[in-house]
Amino acid sequence: MFKNLNPILHSQLRLAIVSLLISVKEAEFVFLKEKTNASAGNLSVQLNKLKEANYIEINKQFSNNYPQTLCRITQIGVAAFEEYVSALKSYTNN
Amino acid sequence: MENFSEQDSLRLITEMISKAKKSYITKGYASIMWGSIIVFCSLVTWAEIYFKFNAGDVWLLTIVAIIPQVYFGIKENKERGFTSYEGDTLSAVWLAFGISIFLLSYYFGTHKVDGDSQSVFMMLYAIPTFITGRVTKFKPMICGGIFCWVASFTSMFTNIQIDFFLMAGCGLFAWLIPGIMLYMRYKKSVQAHV
Repeated sequence: MFKNLNPILHSQLRLAIVSLLISVKEAEFVFLKEKTNASAGNLSVQLNKLKEANYIEINKQFSNNYPQTLCRITQIGVAAFEEYVSALKSYTNN
Repeated sequence: MENFSEQDSLRLITEMISKAKKSYITKGYASIMWGSIIVFCSLVTWAEIYFKFNAGDVWLLTIVAIIPQVYFGIKENKERGFTSYEGDTLSAVWLAFGISIFLLSYYFGTHKVDGDSQSVFMMLYAIPTFITGRVTKFKPMICGGIFCWVASFTSMFTNIQIDFFLMAGCGLFAWLIPGIMLYMRYKKSVQAHV
């Protein structure tokens, strides 16, 4: 039986962001941009979508007079990611 | 939904997790610095005993070295762009090690203790080195940690001159050589991204 894939995560950039955030405690916007090769605008939009779903938290602060955006995955995000991977397995095992 | 297959998803997840892991690369500056200091201080202390002269308390260098250590640590964290759970754990381990070394140095400096303090220090050097090696899966540090334990045990049966040679060996094998290897690995990864 195939499970439905979570539409929020089944998007290339959003999945890339969540996969990066699952591996670290907290990541800067610049780090995510560099690793995903996304444009700043597109990354910003996708981060907001993940934030609206409560999958990630975004903190904006200043570091040495420069704005810094820090992202971290939430417990809801971790659970959604685990469920997504489990759903993926049901596809690949069949 | 995007036109993006399940296989693509799995490939992307694996690729991103691997990218995040590979990003946790240290330049090895702290390791090189502490390794050099321990080797230098141990050999100077050995020379002081062997040639019977007084070079002052060279071990004070270890306190001075805390300043560049903090500087490198903050700089490296900023450059990395992320914080990791393993990095946080290791920072706590090394902080606990630093506090313990400081307290032990104070204790041995202010109390008359029978036996050599070098064995205890070398045993302590092994703990964070071995843990770091295991957590980061970096074999040279695992071997360095084991070397410190072996040196600590050996020093229980040797005279103070050999103890300081063993201590220099600890600085060399636990930190200096692994630090140089980390630096070379960092250089290689930078070149690979050019």
